[in-house]
Amino acid sequence: MASASGVNVELFKIFAVAVANGLVGLSGGLIAQYQGFADIGMGIGTVVIGLASVIIGESVLKSRNIAVKILSAIVGAVVFRLMIACALFIGFNPNDLKLLTALFVLFTLFITKYLNDNKKSSTSESKSGRQVRKYAPVLIGVVLIGVVGAFVYSTFFSKPAKTFKIGVLQVADNGLLNITRESFLVEIKKLGYTEENCELLVENANGELPNVNAILDKFLMNKVDVIVAISTPVTQAAIKKVTKIPVVFATVANPFILKAGESDSVHLPNVTGVYGWVPMEKVLEYTRQIIPGKLKLGVMWDPAQANSVFNVEQLKKAVTNYNDIEFEGVHIASSNEVYQAAQSLVAKGINMFLLPPDNIVYSAFESIVKAADTRNLPIIMCDIERLESGSVFTYGYDYTISGIQAANMVNRILNGENIANIPFERYKRVSMGVNLKAAEKCGVIVPDDIINSATLIVNKDGSIIDKTPKLKSKIRTALFLFNDSKSALEVSKGVNDFFKEKNVLKKKNMTLDVFNAQNEFHLANSVAQKIVSNNYDYIITLSTPSLQVMANNNKKIPHVFGFVSDPYRMGIAKDSMNHIENITGVQTLQPVESSIKTIREILPKAKTIGIVWNPAEACSEACTEIARKACELYGFKLVEVNVTNTSEVQEAVNSLISKKIDVFLTSGDNTVVMAVPMIAKMLKEHKIPFVTNAFSDVEVGAFLSVGADYYEVGRETAKYALKVINGSRTKDLKIYKFVPEKMYLNLKLAEEYGIKIDQKIINKAAKVLR
Amino acid sequence: MITINNLHKKFNQGTLNEVYALKGINIKINKGDFVTIIGTNGSGKSTLLNAIAGTFLPDEGSIFIDGNEVTNQVEFKRAKYISRVFQNPFSGTAAEMTIAENLHLASLRGSRRYPIIGLNHQSINTYKEELKQLEMQMEDRTDSLIGTLSGGQRQAITLLMAVIKRPLVLLLDEHTAALDPKSAAQIINLTKKFIERDNLTAVMVTHSMQQALELGNRTIMMNKGEIIEDLSLADKRRLTVNDLLNKFSEIRKKEKLTDELVLDLKNEYI
Repeated sequence: MASASGVNVELFKIFAVAVANGLVGLSGGLIAQYQGFADIGMGIGTVVIGLASVIIGESVLKSRNIAVKILSAIVGAVVFRLMIACALFIGFNPNDLKLLTALFVLFTLFITKYLNDNKKSSTSESKSGRQVRKYAPVLIGVVLIGVVGAFVYSTFFSKPAKTFKIGVLQVADNGLLNITRESFLVEIKKLGYTEENCELLVENANGELPNVNAILDKFLMNKVDVIVAISTPVTQAAIKKVTKIPVVFATVANPFILKAGESDSVHLPNVTGVYGWVPMEKVLEYTRQIIPGKLKLGVMWDPAQANSVFNVEQLKKAVTNYNDIEFEGVHIASSNEVYQAAQSLVAKGINMFLLPPDNIVYSAFESIVKAADTRNLPIIMCDIERLESGSVFTYGYDYTISGIQAANMVNRILNGENIANIPFERYKRVSMGVNLKAAEKCGVIVPDDIINSATLIVNKDGSIIDKTPKLKSKIRTALFLFNDSKSALEVSKGVNDFFKEKNVLKKKNMTLDVFNAQNEFHLANSVAQKIVSNNYDYIITLSTPSLQVMANNNKKIPHVFGFVSDPYRMGIAKDSMNHIENITGVQTLQPVESSIKTIREILPKAKTIGIVWNPAEACSEACTEIARKACELYGFKLVEVNVTNTSEVQEAVNSLISKKIDVFLTSGDNTVVMAVPMIAKMLKEHKIPFVTNAFSDVEVGAFLSVGADYYEVGRETAKYALKVINGSRTKDLKIYKFVPEKMYLNLKLAEEYGIKIDQKIINKAAKVLR
Repeated sequence: MITINNLHKKFNQGTLNEVYALKGINIKINKGDFVTIIGTNGSGKSTLLNAIAGTFLPDEGSIFIDGNEVTNQVEFKRAKYISRVFQNPFSGTAAEMTIAENLHLASLRGSRRYPIIGLNHQSINTYKEELKQLEMQMEDRTDSLIGTLSGGQRQAITLLMAVIKRPLVLLLDEHTAALDPKSAAQIINLTKKFIERDNLTAVMVTHSMQQALELGNRTIMMNKGEIIEDLSLADKRRLTVNDLLNKFSEIRKKEKLTDELVLDLKNEYI
């Protein structure tokens, strides 16, 4: 019809397909940019997702308008991804996701069909449509009842009734607030408030003040027994809003300017807590001891923060006690002004930076270090968390004690003590850090008695001595596999066995959670994001793709990899020492060299080795390079033939046979590995020995295989991970090459070919086929 | 207007199913002619129509339209001269598009320039005017999907689409065969009306001898891929349906038609 109306149908088909492919290419490019890498296997499974997205989108938005149609595809994709995110958030195993997505697509289709049938007039309704309508309410009802039932069950029956409810709220994800929260949670558990008798509502306002009020409302609605307010803004809001329920604050500098009380024992009847401001006169005293002589202090602060102003006032007062110390101050209003302010101070000829507590200044600490570096000026501050980043000396409070003291107060309140009689407490423990590396750079000599009383010391070589009493909390480790391949499972078993044998899980109070991406890249990405957002303490990845995905999502958590043939090609590292700071691991390359060496031992007269490989595979390329070098070393001629897919392998092998090769070799090439049984058969006809790098290949007809023992690789990876868990820094651990070789000999074929093998070599083999 | 010289076409050449569909057709159709074609099943009526339209390319011979040779031109290129109405009411329109969109598609015939400017209020108003001529109260339904219309309505739209650009040649391929008698009469009336209004050159294949005699100024009878009779307006006035049947009977004698085929003919024409 279109053709009869003068439309060039073929042209339009080509045009449509071209546009579609262009869009596919564009989205592939976007994904590659987003993930930071690309792989040939990435598209597998994506078509189904694309289709599901389009189906969902078209059911949600119905229109014949082309713009709306494009929008519907985008909406569908977002809905679909949201669904996966939700499922992961709820805590579904990634293995169950496939079922879940299938059900979801089915459900969407069903609902739309139902709605459509309702819309259509009854005259045009088909028989099947009527049937669908008849059963639809029943089915939807069943689903709804199921969901509601599961919800009710999980809320009312699965958990026994709680006796206590504690609401914990912090204003933002900030180092010392997190420390306070964690120490509080650990301590409250120690005091006997376990999951059985106490419900903990732990919330974070993510830096938004309106959230604080909303969360406090939630606490009130849930009728919590005590509210724990971590940080000044939360305390301020809680004092205003909550008048009947006890409020315990922690990590607040000065509760008196918040009007929480007049003195430690005279305070609001429902409020108590832990507080303390950093004694700036003490900081100045230490500064005097570390840096003698005439001093000009560079100070910066945000005048809008009451706490900062208070601290600076203290400092100014302290400075008046010294004749030879001068104060040079500058105001800032946001973190992007910090660098400029620091530079202006440097230009004014200051001798050092002294930074009183100020959230904005501390958040941009790196830029101050950069400005100070130009003249090697020392920096003294109050946050021990930033000691390693370049501060010479820090003096402040140890905020773990803040949480512990708050927990003890909560315990007293829950035991019935009258809160009005519980006085405010000051922090009971200080933290003092000395960075000798930074001191050396600035030419500052720190007196020995200060070094001896420091709780955290960074030595000249960068190693760390930590004297703070450690909290013993649960360590969570994520084990991330990309698929269920035989070797991957062997590696994984090695890791598990090692941890079990060394009793690591119990000794370290560690949990090991296994994640599997089911060979799909999009799933791998979601899983990696989940691991990062759940704040696991350590990550172990087994296989190259999981390493890649994880490395792109995680920049902080210590990460140990294993079962990876070449981490250098992926930008994880430049050399074994020079790698991404939080990532290290075990490299296992196929033992190509040793297999060539063995060939020389068995066949002293052989001259040429034939190899077939796919240049598109990075791993294969690496192996072939090694083979070239090894062949030169052992006096072989390497004859190479390239293939791009498995169907070409047969012809390639034939061409090699016709070139009269003496031995045929395959290493870590996935394209060729698929065809191993066929190659074995072809080579057997011509009595050419077949050498491979996968241990079990002898069973399908190879003559000799020298493979890596992946179980051992797993154990080695776990050993490496244990080093990190025991406190070594990933930065200092070099990427370690580990190839546990295992040889498998086919004596049956040797007899057939008339090859005599020395008993010594036979003894070396881990397994022999007779 | 249309000149066809010695046109041959074989389908499935060299196989057991070989069909010699056109065996040297020679015909000249003048401007303003309204030609009806009748013939038995498989006589080559539709094949001839499709050869003019360019659905396939002939094995031998040549076709000229308005003095231009189109023998080897592809279908969509010839569409600037030719418009068609098919037997199946569903194949002349796009069911997933609205009435206005279908008409717009048809009115772009032969004048396709890219990018195509879409529908606007002005063009929709013109289409409403055109739809009024169908007298089917469809002028208010320009936004309904074609798929929601009945077969007769769809065929009327197809017809309107075919004539909306005043084509040089209008090809009608048994376009009333699939309709109920009432709709068929409606469509025939519209066909007559449009052809007379624009003085179109039209070729119509039909199964009804009555129609063949009543409509047009010339009738062609076909059998086994050949033209066996070419009747002028004067001849047609003289002849009755029975005369036509007798003509076919003569063939029967000549070619010894089996009784089965005669039954076939009777079923079809009486």
